[in-house]
Amino acid sequence: MASIAAPGHAISVNRSHRRLNSTTTVTSATIKSKLPTFSSSQNPKPYNSNIFASKTLHNVIKNSTAVTVGLYALSSGVSHVLLNGNGGGGFGGSGGGGGGGDGDGFWSRIFSPAAIAGEEESSEWDSHGLPANIVVQLNKLSGFKKYKVSDILFFDRRRRSTVGTEDSFFEMLSLRPGGVYTKAQLQKELETLATSGMFEKVDLDAKTNPDGTVGVTISFLESTWQSADKFRCINVGLMPQSKLIEMDADMTEKEKLEYFRSQEKDYRRRIERSRPCLLPVSVQREILLMLKEHGAVSARLLQKIRDKVQQWYHYNGYACAQVVNFGNLNTKEVVCEVVEGDITQMVIQFQDKLGNVCEGNTQYPVVRREMPKQLRQGQVFNIEAGKQALRNINSLALFSNIEVNPRPDEKNEGGIIVEIKLKELEQKSAEVSTEWSIVPGRGGRPTLASIQPGGTVSFEHRNLHGLNRSVLGSVTTSNFLNPQDDLAFKLEYVHPYLDGVCNSRNRTLRASCFNSRKLSPVFTGGPGVDEVPPIWVDRAGLKANITENFTRQSKFTYGLVMEEITTRDESSHISARGQRVLPSGGISVDGPPTTLSETGIDRMAFLQANITRDNTKFVNGTIVGERNVFQLDQGLGVGSKFPFFNRHQLTMTRFVQLKQVEEGAGKAPPPVLILHGHYGGCVGDLPSYDAFTLGGPYSVRGYNMGEIGAARNIVELAVELRIPVRNTHVYAFVEHGSDLGTSKDVKGNPTEVYRRMGHGSSYGAGVKLGLVRAEYAVDHNSGTGAIFFRFGERF
Amino acid sequence: MLDVVIIYLVSMASQIIREWAGIQQFPAATQSKLLELLGKLKQENVSTLTILVMGKGGVGKSSTVNSIIGERAVAVSAFQSETPRPVMVSRSRAGFTLNVIDTPGLVEGGYVNNQALDLIKKFLLNKTIDVLLYVDRLDAYRVDNLDKQIVKAITDSFGKEIWRRGIVVLTHAQLSPPDGLTYDEFTSRRSEALLKIVRMAARIRKQEIQAASIPVVLVENSGRCNKNESDEKILPSGTAWIPNLVQTITDAVLSGSKGILVDQKLIEGPNPNNRGKVLIPVILAFQYFFVVKRIQKWIKNDIARESRPSWS
Repeated sequence: MASIAAPGHAISVNRSHRRLNSTTTVTSATIKSKLPTFSSSQNPKPYNSNIFASKTLHNVIKNSTAVTVGLYALSSGVSHVLLNGNGGGGFGGSGGGGGGGDGDGFWSRIFSPAAIAGEEESSEWDSHGLPANIVVQLNKLSGFKKYKVSDILFFDRRRRSTVGTEDSFFEMLSLRPGGVYTKAQLQKELETLATSGMFEKVDLDAKTNPDGTVGVTISFLESTWQSADKFRCINVGLMPQSKLIEMDADMTEKEKLEYFRSQEKDYRRRIERSRPCLLPVSVQREILLMLKEHGAVSARLLQKIRDKVQQWYHYNGYACAQVVNFGNLNTKEVVCEVVEGDITQMVIQFQDKLGNVCEGNTQYPVVRREMPKQLRQGQVFNIEAGKQALRNINSLALFSNIEVNPRPDEKNEGGIIVEIKLKELEQKSAEVSTEWSIVPGRGGRPTLASIQPGGTVSFEHRNLHGLNRSVLGSVTTSNFLNPQDDLAFKLEYVHPYLDGVCNSRNRTLRASCFNSRKLSPVFTGGPGVDEVPPIWVDRAGLKANITENFTRQSKFTYGLVMEEITTRDESSHISARGQRVLPSGGISVDGPPTTLSETGIDRMAFLQANITRDNTKFVNGTIVGERNVFQLDQGLGVGSKFPFFNRHQLTMTRFVQLKQVEEGAGKAPPPVLILHGHYGGCVGDLPSYDAFTLGGPYSVRGYNMGEIGAARNIVELAVELRIPVRNTHVYAFVEHGSDLGTSKDVKGNPTEVYRRMGHGSSYGAGVKLGLVRAEYAVDHNSGTGAIFFRFGERF
Repeated sequence: MLDVVIIYLVSMASQIIREWAGIQQFPAATQSKLLELLGKLKQENVSTLTILVMGKGGVGKSSTVNSIIGERAVAVSAFQSETPRPVMVSRSRAGFTLNVIDTPGLVEGGYVNNQALDLIKKFLLNKTIDVLLYVDRLDAYRVDNLDKQIVKAITDSFGKEIWRRGIVVLTHAQLSPPDGLTYDEFTSRRSEALLKIVRMAARIRKQEIQAASIPVVLVENSGRCNKNESDEKILPSGTAWIPNLVQTITDAVLSGSKGILVDQKLIEGPNPNNRGKVLIPVILAFQYFFVVKRIQKWIKNDIARESRPSWS
């Protein structure tokens, strides 16, 4: 009985506890692939009905009276092969008992010999105690001695030569040079070889060495069958194994003939019933070529074919696929029987912290909808689909540990049960983080007043009703003693699967209440203008939107925003107009109005929509593809001064791959040309905080935020060329931004008041260093260049 | 806010219309000429004349105003700006009212002073400008981009129509021209250069030049100005310039064009926030059907074209 422990490919993910409101969520995803462990015991009987124990990945039952069943274990451990003769009569190897050495039928049996070696190796060994350089037959060796094997040779009797260590026969052998073995072990080894079906005849001799060790020579005669000119590969997964009628030892010749004939018929029927396999024609043709080249079909050739077929399957991710049998030998056609690993069931299992199976809070459809189609029942298990499932489930951010595990189906031979083990994250979490801020005052010493306790309080309630709905909130302040100074809050409710968890339409409702504070780039000076007193734009409001995901990157969001906008000066006083520094040094507060209502506080409600089409993908780490974004804010005439407007932006970015490259890890990325255009425009009421600004790292590089101008309609154009260098890239760019003469259409004309040009170009070059871009950009308006360091990507 | 209050106070104060006493100060020849011109205006039913004086700082706007009125109506000083905000000087004589508005210089730190311009605009609210005097110096040899900017700023503020009532005034007219040029050559070249800029910035098209020629008047405000036998201030060419200036103003007023009424709309220009508002529903529909729908179609194509991984 050989038993092979589940060579399962367990895929799992460990997720560290997620921090709320932290953008740098530390997620470690590991995909484990456990190496299978093998334990095998010698098969005592040459005639065996069940060669795989219940734990095996595939149960392949071969029942035969007159044949030897053998099993090979590959070093990879995943596959086992069963060689099958064309239905009886013949006998393979010496274990076949019933003669017919030229074997027109052949059942082979494969063992995993690896286990024998390791455990019984010991450092102590006995000298053979015989004169040196004599050849001793195996049965002449002493049963009480432990022999040390110095080297192992395979001797091909047909070719009258020894074969090299690279020969596939060495894989079958558990003996290793330098190992210590008893006579019984050596006999077992020989038996294993003899019953493998690979050999018609095999002997083991020991040659004594002067230092007390022995050299082992295995002389063999390889099994061969008549040459074939056809090859067929069939999927026998989930098929009941052909039941073979016991062949009575005292059958007459006629009965035997009938028996063989019926077996042949059975086999033909089996082939007919089998499903087509995934193996592409090109590989089949290659194999056919191999067959033709070799002429006679030998055991070694079958091994090669098996390797080739399995290699294709494993390379393409079908990790559970195995060649289980070669049938129809000694006919014109070689039939390769493959169990591809059909999925019979998908099981979702929740585990508690200790790893015990428990009832989960998450509803099953939530997990099930993340499964790729390829993991559904009836599909062939593919490790890539498993990985995809793992990634998809991981993106739910509901589980701390995810394992996708193919397990052999015990009730269904050759079937695979995909087992998904999930450890749920804590549903509720709260976090407090604090920080002290100390600002050096005059003379460089911090004053007592500048020491402020700040921090964030956040809570999250995840996975409400097990449907991945969540409520999360956070409050951040830089000063707990005076939180009204600077208080950022956010409360958000997320409701995914708006159309029902079983509906394939993926819409998510988000409702939030927020505030934010930003420095307005509208109130920025042009080149050569002394500092313009800054204006802060505070927004606080409610937002509800629905996001429909079409693909992972393309989505459509639409919703309603109601907000109050307050504009403040440096000292947090509400300011209705921008300020400017007079040449005399004084500050005048008669700049452009900051709000529509001209009071410094605006309230408005508007509809917001954003459609993003993004088909970019990574080619060897470089982004290639196209991204188009259209964003629309439609005022409803509700709010201060009844704001009615249509503010729209269209962004088009193309990443053009300039050279076809081979994809794969470690391969060089292609050079990429980036074409980028951005149009922004507004019809109707336009408060200055909603004006489009030009200049800045995401607008026209080489300028400060808003340095070129603030306008009603803008257009930005950029071209960038990225050339890969080593494992990063260098780039050169040209950018231009223009207000299209619409700066004057913003009330108060902030572009002119702060003496900005309204249009500007820049060019430059840079290099990407990890996350940082280091670039030299020349601004065309002043003609001067500067080096910038920026985080993240421009496009 | 304080600024605004003060402006109102000042403008209220200057609303008190005084008797034009300064006219007595002029030499008899000038007086008779002025009275003749006023009579001519009255004949045409013009009983009020509002003159707006604008230009760079320190070119002699206030002095010109004083010269026209014939008294020291606005403060002048040689080295600093004495006019931080617009001032209107009103004088009446025999049922005729003359308003002269002096304004602060339009240049500050090498740029057009928008703030000053705003002040002027606010000051002029609900007034009708009959004549604009654009003042510059005759003895400045070059015109530059800044001049153009100023003219442009005036045009943008009051519309190009104002140049139909515009007169270019060149002060410091009593000078000795540079070597090799006669006085007349110099003045004509200088005024031509300035007019060119004005025409360009005022967006007066070539075919309009004839119809809307802007007159140029030379002025010498200095007390050392040469005088003729009847004690009138004269230019090196021999013309008495005050009667000449008033004559030109009268001609401009009587040329048939209309005075510029400065109202809220003119000051603020068309409200860009209202432009195209009616079209918003149409724009929205366009965006939905031709932009959003188009992108949705692209996404659909993407999904259809998405290359399947080998294992699916």
